[in-house]
Amino acid sequence: MISEQLREQVYSCIKCGLCMNTCPVYRQLYFEGASPRGKVQLIKKILEGELEISAYFSSLLHTCLLCETCTVNCPSGVDLNRLMKAARAEVVRKLGLPLEKRALYSLLSRNRLLPFFMFWGRTLETPLRSLILKEGRAGTIPATRLPRLNSRPLLDQYPQIVSPAGPRVGRVLYFVGCATNYLFENVGRAVITTLNSMGIEVIIPRAQVCCGFPAGQAGMRKIALRNIRQNLELFDPGDADAVVVDCATCGTALKKEYANILEEMGENAEAARRLGQKVQDISEYLSKLDPAKYLKPVRGRVTYHDPCHLLRSQGIKEPPRNLLKSIPDMEFVEMAGADVCCGGGGAFQFDHPDVAAGITKNKVQAIMETGAHFVATGCPGCRLQIHGSLGDESIKVVHPVELLALAIS
Amino acid sequence: MLEEKVFEELISIVGAERCKRSKEDLLTYCYDACIHEYLPDAVVFPKSAQEVAHIMKTASAHNIFVTPRGAGSGLGGEALAKYGGIVICFSMMNRILEINTANRYAVVEPGVVIADLQKAVERAGLFYPPDPGSSAVATMGGSVAMNAGGMRGVKYGVTKDYLLGLEIVLPSGEMMMTGTVTSKDVTGYDLTRLICGSEGTLALVTRINVRLLPKPKTKRTLLAIYNSIDAAGDTVSKIIEAGIVPATLELMDKRLIKALDDFTHLGFPLDAEAVLLMDVDGDPETVENQVALVADFCRRQGAREVRVSSSEKENEQLWFARRSAFGAVARMRPTCLIEDATVPVSFLTATIKKVIEICERNRVQVAVLAHAGDGNMHPLMLCDQRDEEEMARVNKSMDEIVDYALSVGGTLSGEHGIGVNKARYLPKQLSETSLKMMKAIKRTFDPQCILNPGGFLDYGAL
Repeated sequence: MISEQLREQVYSCIKCGLCMNTCPVYRQLYFEGASPRGKVQLIKKILEGELEISAYFSSLLHTCLLCETCTVNCPSGVDLNRLMKAARAEVVRKLGLPLEKRALYSLLSRNRLLPFFMFWGRTLETPLRSLILKEGRAGTIPATRLPRLNSRPLLDQYPQIVSPAGPRVGRVLYFVGCATNYLFENVGRAVITTLNSMGIEVIIPRAQVCCGFPAGQAGMRKIALRNIRQNLELFDPGDADAVVVDCATCGTALKKEYANILEEMGENAEAARRLGQKVQDISEYLSKLDPAKYLKPVRGRVTYHDPCHLLRSQGIKEPPRNLLKSIPDMEFVEMAGADVCCGGGGAFQFDHPDVAAGITKNKVQAIMETGAHFVATGCPGCRLQIHGSLGDESIKVVHPVELLALAIS
Repeated sequence: MLEEKVFEELISIVGAERCKRSKEDLLTYCYDACIHEYLPDAVVFPKSAQEVAHIMKTASAHNIFVTPRGAGSGLGGEALAKYGGIVICFSMMNRILEINTANRYAVVEPGVVIADLQKAVERAGLFYPPDPGSSAVATMGGSVAMNAGGMRGVKYGVTKDYLLGLEIVLPSGEMMMTGTVTSKDVTGYDLTRLICGSEGTLALVTRINVRLLPKPKTKRTLLAIYNSIDAAGDTVSKIIEAGIVPATLELMDKRLIKALDDFTHLGFPLDAEAVLLMDVDGDPETVENQVALVADFCRRQGAREVRVSSSEKENEQLWFARRSAFGAVARMRPTCLIEDATVPVSFLTATIKKVIEICERNRVQVAVLAHAGDGNMHPLMLCDQRDEEEMARVNKSMDEIVDYALSVGGTLSGEHGIGVNKARYLPKQLSETSLKMMKAIKRTFDPQCILNPGGFLDYGAL
């Protein structure tokens, strides 16, 4: 059930409507059911017993990027983000999820997933292929613009402890998200190299699993809970300086969602809160280490896209920009609407390709207008979406830390 | 309930996607920003005037109530289907059709959001002044129907002052134009300004021609801080009397300051009793002079401090905060009734005192906000609509505020409209003859009385 504290929030929405025009989804669809306040209204009616949870309600609830733009813009302080996620969990409790979704999230949440490789691999001749590809596209992304799989998972490429060559000045635990582990090994390598070259020892707990965010946002809290418990056990920060994360979504999960989900499920959230305080996005952590003194010039022009899960979920705006600006000879250009969601939204772009494409179009245009060679962003979801929608091969989508590693090498 | 064949006709006009009738969809069209809820039977989303005309032909043929709606940010239930029927929502009919820099006008569809039009014309060096607090939400169609006012009223007037012409669809489905795109036009009755503020009871607006001004070269925002709300109120009356014309002149009391600061963390003075938020705009030299003049004026009237913004960003932050006022008070209590009785500006301080006295006597929590330069009160009555006894006290306070405003030569509503909230007060302000004339106008436009029943006029008596 939706927790008591969240239930009361539906009465704080006075329907002023300020959430509507900032909502990227409403601005594509222009009807109330797609707007944040419309969803709050429906949740309220369900809680009051005037409306049953229906398949249509569920589809409206999922016509949402969870970009949190409404949440940060709500003058009444309604935590729409938590409310929507809790409502999604209610929907799953009541209606279950379609088999293909259940299979997908359950696979995504497990470690060492051979089937997961198959999704993205060259041998897509598997029944699972139909889950992802429709008419040669994964949602809005053409199959040809999907990334190649890592040759081996990143977790298999490194020992548990990677020590710096020189004197050790610090020690961190590294939470490797699924995207880095399976798709973007270069990000993981950049994280480890950069930290090492600044004298930081990197500990990579082997048995770590998916952060659980994808399953949790879909309302599958039982699956999420299993992963939360396992990760909480493995990531006891002890005397480490921080738990670093290179993925905006994983970072949000570890910092906030774990405690929220546990609390709403009536479980003890103490350990999750302790962990949350130790978690830092890699850009946060690195920008405190004065990276400039390690960097050599790299020529180019870079622009930055704010991932929702960094900017709005974690309030991180300047650190990644500062990192990019600290690279000598690298010209930083701010794009128009850098803070607007790219339209990816995890599963959103699979389920609503037309809406997503409309949102992404604006993002791509803003990127093009900067004339940048690189688009940096600290979220693999945004990276997939932006790379998948950029027609221009000459623009590279990267993680800020990859450019940093380039400047260090 | 509508008959199935009506749905079929509607779907044949706009398609199934744009004719919504599920319980979920209807529940998201039963509210606006007031506290009442009325379920429509269907919501249709036209994309052209022709579609609107077809919908009206269907509605009049079957004698079905129709209620027009923009963004649903109104504060009096004007856009709600008080007796069910069809809601025509204009949110998908939202193109800016023309920005004419040579003749300084713009042509828009009714679903265009006010702030979007403002931004678009400002990029062309032009300026659309009407600026209701909800401009980031509300549509142009809604602002025409309601004759929306807002922050800049004190210097620039309200929506009706910027309308050049309209394309409208009558309840019968006939289409016509009012006005032109020229700044002068005395050909025939001024139907443009009759439709404006008619609360969607006479016709449906499908296209709007608005007059634009050159964009003021610069603007500065001032925040004058007071230890007494009376001194703040007196400042306003005296500024107006002295012939100083700021672009905006807003008054906020300590409760509101706290709510806004909780949301924006802009460092509003939490120990102040009231603040005045003011803009001066124009040429840089004039603005510099005006800033000094206004600041000095406020200090002499007892402001303990006057802060002057130093950048466009700071201006924007302060006004973003002000625009959030209605939403932000929900941090204190879940329901907010915003009253908008308006008085001659020389009665401002007395009215503020009276409002506070009335609310205290009725044990109603109130935060005072005002478009002070217009004498347009906006007391925010904070309550919980689940508490009937409390709501009775709120309603009693509203009655008393209205009576007081009328007793000093004011009006029931400065800009939010009559709608459901104030229909009961209408005979207090309008004479029998006046009401008779209004009803006759209504019957001329809408002989079947199918357009937006249940609000503005008492239809039982038609």
